[in-house]
Amino acid sequence: MGSLVELKERQAPVDVHETTDMALLVRTSSDNLAGWDRQKIVDAMVREADVPDDVAERISLDVEETIVRAGIKFVTAPLIRELVDAKLIECGLEDARKKHTRLGVPLYDVDQMILHPNKENANVPHGPEATNLTLAEGIKKEYALLKVFTADVGDAHMRGDIHLHDLGFIDRPYCSGQSLEYIKRFGLSLPNSLSIAKPARQPEVLLAHMVKFAAALQSHFAGAIGWDAVNLFFAPYLEGRSDREVKQLAQMLIYEFSQQAVARGGQAIFTDINLYWEVPKHFENVPAIGPGGEFTGKTYGEYEKEAQRFVWALFDVYKEGDGTGRPFFFPKPLVHITEKLFRTEGWQDFLHHICDVASEKGTTYFVFDRGETAKISECCRLSFKLNASDIEDAKSPWKMRFSALQNVTVNLPRIGYRSKGNDTALFNSLRAMMELAVKAHLQKKYFIESLLALGDSGPLALLTMATDGAPYLRMHRASYLIGMVGLNELVKIHTGEGLQESKRAIKFGLKVISEMSLLCKKYSEMHDMHFVLEQTPAESTAYRFAKLDLRDYRDHAQNFVRGDVATGHIYYTNSTCLPVGSSENPIERVRTEGLFHPLIEAGSITHIWLGESKPAKESLANFVIKVFRETQNDQIAFSPEFTNCLACGRTVRGLQPACPHCGSDKVDGITRITGYFTKISSWNKGKIGELRERNKNKGFFAK
Amino acid sequence: MRTVKIFIKAGCSRCPQAKQAGAALKDEGFSVAEFDVGTTDGLAEGAYYSVQATPTVIIEDQDETIIGDFRGDVPPMQTLRDMLTGS
Repeated sequence: MGSLVELKERQAPVDVHETTDMALLVRTSSDNLAGWDRQKIVDAMVREADVPDDVAERISLDVEETIVRAGIKFVTAPLIRELVDAKLIECGLEDARKKHTRLGVPLYDVDQMILHPNKENANVPHGPEATNLTLAEGIKKEYALLKVFTADVGDAHMRGDIHLHDLGFIDRPYCSGQSLEYIKRFGLSLPNSLSIAKPARQPEVLLAHMVKFAAALQSHFAGAIGWDAVNLFFAPYLEGRSDREVKQLAQMLIYEFSQQAVARGGQAIFTDINLYWEVPKHFENVPAIGPGGEFTGKTYGEYEKEAQRFVWALFDVYKEGDGTGRPFFFPKPLVHITEKLFRTEGWQDFLHHICDVASEKGTTYFVFDRGETAKISECCRLSFKLNASDIEDAKSPWKMRFSALQNVTVNLPRIGYRSKGNDTALFNSLRAMMELAVKAHLQKKYFIESLLALGDSGPLALLTMATDGAPYLRMHRASYLIGMVGLNELVKIHTGEGLQESKRAIKFGLKVISEMSLLCKKYSEMHDMHFVLEQTPAESTAYRFAKLDLRDYRDHAQNFVRGDVATGHIYYTNSTCLPVGSSENPIERVRTEGLFHPLIEAGSITHIWLGESKPAKESLANFVIKVFRETQNDQIAFSPEFTNCLACGRTVRGLQPACPHCGSDKVDGITRITGYFTKISSWNKGKIGELRERNKNKGFFAK
Repeated sequence: MRTVKIFIKAGCSRCPQAKQAGAALKDEGFSVAEFDVGTTDGLAEGAYYSVQATPTVIIEDQDETIIGDFRGDVPPMQTLRDMLTGS
């Protein structure tokens, strides 16, 4: 706990650019009252909060009197600050009070954090590193709401009109997608690194560079780190390697990323690897980079067989699962299904192979790139569609790096409660929320730009490195995501029918999302930025919105939130999805949900819950082909359920109350929470509520 | 009664031809609905029919079942008349 002297010594002229020096001053302060000096309180108010001298003088006298009168024997800096802040409020100086605020965490909360897991993100384990992460996130969240965003934006978040994602990571962009080519060509030379590595000569070294670079990126981005065409870009390193060696490399890659729960906050790096059976058209004629960062003299089109060997081996490993047969949670394999796939020799065997893994472990994600569409996918469903300049960049693939700067989600059901069945009110309210989301993006952009402007001495030095002539984070190419939660509930509130109940309901839902999509275009032109809709994963947002609406709109909300109101296991249906429990067959769900996907440029997914069933690979392959040919759906994933016994370590199919092998009731369920697999014990109450209602499509797929 | 739905957007080179076809069919007494996919209502209706290119012409029966569709293309007038009359 800081002491009064902390306040005193902060007044000493220090170089404010040196965070380390300031921290040292705090540590060397001693906790006694010997140095009490009222003038320091005056100085702090004047310097930090622009309080007029005479007012600051008066307040300091009041505070001093309060302390003396109370007979307090031990005074801390936070207590003095609180007393000063209370006086500022009494004087009507609310703005000054905000500027003078001390960010911190109550003792009780720290106690809880140290003792209990954080369930806001199921990818954060419980441990000292996780506690550090949660504490830092708490402070940065407060900082963001006070300092980065204006009061109207911050209040809209606090009320639950919108959700500003990853506030605890306010000083980072949201997520990053790139290719291996950057490290293949330039090696690993990171700001602040103790050593510099030249481009890798061996595939194992390339993998080591990839893992380290991913960890560096994780500490500069809030969310997912995605890699494009991983099997293709490894291919030049695999010539002459035996199948056994290729399998070994595949195993190393998957274990490296799935066991990385030792980095930021003990979190595994949320890693996505984009994979292709064919050589994507935009890479066919691109000169390949091989060992030592040298061009090999061949094009990537000539490495098809090596790329295929590697992707096959990766799925061999995925099929085996980890040491206890559990599915690998990361890296997530995103297989692109394209027109060219079906023209590439061996596609049927490959499709059966990845469908086998989908049935056995659920690991495969099927990303549909129809027509001329090309994209890189990551996170739970995010995708960056490649435009003409991206395709041009593909000729020098190290330039291909993509980022979304922030994600803001709109609480759609709340718009329904407020508009009381009136169309005009509904769309006016929607536009107001979208404007707030855009405002939030502008403010975050301004803040990140101010950090980037500090260059290689700033906190985002890694993102300013310009090894290829352009900063790693190409701000002018960044996307700004706007998501939505609870379209189904909004439509039901407004029309009386849920999305699955009628054509009229679907059409109204499409109208809402069309309006959001067109508004994104309008704001993009207005601000020369790239605003795009994304289906927010909403792992905790769907729960948070439901809780806040139940509190603030109880009479209405209790009829529309999903789950169990009595136990608090409540949630809203995610994004534009149909209710998880609705009874239509999976192909109908994929088709209907797919109607929304072309409007949501930055990515969508349909989940097909499998429960304990294990469909035949041929059945899933036919399903995948049908989805590609007959729907507009962007991405699908099949999600089986597992039980892992904590006593004997074995993993069995389905969610079981006890281990069928040893009888222990110390078991944990595993299935997909949103866009990734994880242990059910780490889920929040909203997601548990959703899990109980999921339609597991029993009997639909042939075994 | 069968209906023809025509999806257009500004700046699309073949859309004027689709609009003309729609206007002519309307004059002949057929049920015609035109949607500009640059508007909210038009984009929503287009999404419902998975319209990916303009002009798109869709003919439906009274139960809104699709009888025929022409995507990124305008069929000959007589083809449309035949489909609308069921001949």
